[in-house]
Amino acid sequence: MSKAIIDIEHLVKRYEMGDEEVYALRDVSLTIGDNEYVAIMGPSGSGKSTLMNILGCLDTPTSGKYLFNGANVAEMDDDDLASIRNREIGFVFQTFNLLPRATSLKNVELPLVYAGVSAEERTRRASEALARVQLADRMSHKPNELSGGQRQRVAIARAIVTAPCIILADEPTGNLDTKTGQDIMSLFSDLWKAGNTVILVTHEEDVAQHARRIIRLRDGKIESDTQNHHA
Amino acid sequence: MPRLSELQESFRIAVDSLRVNLLRSILTTAGIVVGVVLVVLMGWTIGGLNAVWEQTISIIGKDMLYMDKWDWAGGGNWRELEARKDITLNQAEMLKLRMESAQFVIPMARKWGGSVVKGNTSLSCSITGTTSDYGFTSAAATLDGRFFTTTEEHSAERVVVIGHGVYTSLWPDGNAVDAILKINRVPFRVIGVLQKQGFLFMDFIDNQVFIPLKAFRAAHGFYDRSFDVALKCGSEAMLDVVRTEAIGHMRAIRNVAPDAPNDFSINETKAFDEQTKNIRLGIWVVGIGLTLLAFVVGSIGIMNIMYVSVTERTKEIGIRKAIGARRSSILAQFLIESALLCAAGALIAFPIAQAIVAGARFTAVDVLEQDWARVISPFIPLDLLVIAVTVSVIVGLLAGFMPALRASRLDPVDALRYEQ
Repeated sequence: MSKAIIDIEHLVKRYEMGDEEVYALRDVSLTIGDNEYVAIMGPSGSGKSTLMNILGCLDTPTSGKYLFNGANVAEMDDDDLASIRNREIGFVFQTFNLLPRATSLKNVELPLVYAGVSAEERTRRASEALARVQLADRMSHKPNELSGGQRQRVAIARAIVTAPCIILADEPTGNLDTKTGQDIMSLFSDLWKAGNTVILVTHEEDVAQHARRIIRLRDGKIESDTQNHHA
Repeated sequence: MPRLSELQESFRIAVDSLRVNLLRSILTTAGIVVGVVLVVLMGWTIGGLNAVWEQTISIIGKDMLYMDKWDWAGGGNWRELEARKDITLNQAEMLKLRMESAQFVIPMARKWGGSVVKGNTSLSCSITGTTSDYGFTSAAATLDGRFFTTTEEHSAERVVVIGHGVYTSLWPDGNAVDAILKINRVPFRVIGVLQKQGFLFMDFIDNQVFIPLKAFRAAHGFYDRSFDVALKCGSEAMLDVVRTEAIGHMRAIRNVAPDAPNDFSINETKAFDEQTKNIRLGIWVVGIGLTLLAFVVGSIGIMNIMYVSVTERTKEIGIRKAIGARRSSILAQFLIESALLCAAGALIAFPIAQAIVAGARFTAVDVLEQDWARVISPFIPLDLLVIAVTVSVIVGLLAGFMPALRASRLDPVDALRYEQ
């Protein structure tokens, strides 16, 4: 296996719900290398959302080790985490999460704004990213002028515009019809083939089947971690 | 610190957000608008007062000193002043002989609360007997006619120069020169009308008449009368020199013991500054009080609407954080929005304040025909705009700080999950 981007050992995430302690993750260990295509599966309550939040540096574990590109995420402060999310991680959400009043171009430019890239450079790179998802002709459209599939492609363009280490997609087809969902999945395959690392979080078997490696979670633990030879 | 690109983005978002909620934004700024209007009106009022005052002072003469038994500024104990020996004509004339630094030394005898009669109309005013030298002071500038001459003075001619107030009261249709005015039943010929000097609360200055000293003696006598001595210094720079010399001579003339205080006062227009200072202070205190109140109420409104804005945009904050916005970026975004909101309030307030100011001046000058108001500017000075906008922005930053801090501290996972 190639160089590890994500290296997790004995990860625990515990929530306090009133007097009760709820374990979302119990002792999860996992390594994901460069240019892998991984699907994280599991029923609701299995801890896959929590795992994705931690992998995406949106949340920090209660205990355990998380090395991202060799750096210990558990020791990072808010600004360091923001910086990693900005440069190293591209998020794709089920509900697209685009800014409703901004055009496609502005939405895609946004991560570059927080990276301190100049306006000219932002526009150039955002246009390129939109062209890669075949939306070169929808740059000045706002989200409500786009179809669901187009919105998700804008979100993917936003995720890849900073050339991140990993693309983290949370149920990316959950709000799309089957056909559009397939288009989006083939876009992820293209990105993977182009050298990106893609991590999908899903509960849909046929979506997971696009990935080369499938990790199944149940009750906060890894149930199985298998290579997928069907894809 | 957020990067420049982030600040630009924040600015853009803020403008966008204010535009989308235009009506709400305008209503929110109401308190700030009131505050700024008050600040501006207060500044303008004080400025106008200064202008009126400057006008009055410059006419009375900034280069004038008045030696008097009484103190204009009301300093000292009234009984002590009362106990001072009168300044006699003899003393005034000795001072005139000895003074070297002053341009003119002018003895003046006053009868306060005298009266003049034109035909059947009587008017109470003060009557001043003086020398022709008074005609060389700026206070003796005439609107019509002239001041009396040395010859007229020495021959005790019955000529009178009337103040502007007397003129407008007795000759509403003009043409006072050569008319007859009776002072103590003796007819005097009007030879000059003085320009308007007193503005606002200094009207009494215009309500006097000037006659030659000897004529004054004939009409009212010098018995039990303390003279003033007006000293024209020529320039403000000479005030100190003339004052020092005059005090030295006068102490010698009046035999004041070396260790005793002066038994006379040296008055100058500066003395009146004290009085206007209090008026200015009064306006300032009331104005600042009202302004503070408006700004406090205004900033509560701003804080409230900023909390609403943060809550409404929780999801957006989550998205921004997920793609790399740091705490400081989010903080800056909401601070800029709140500061802009207040700056917009200041900009809305300005035309309102300008309209009030222009309206007030128009009413005073053209409707109520108050001449003194002419020297007041009908425009708000630009530096007030700068101050008002600056203060508003600071209020905005203060009012927006707590909501912005809350926004910046939102947990990205919770914020992303937030649904309206």
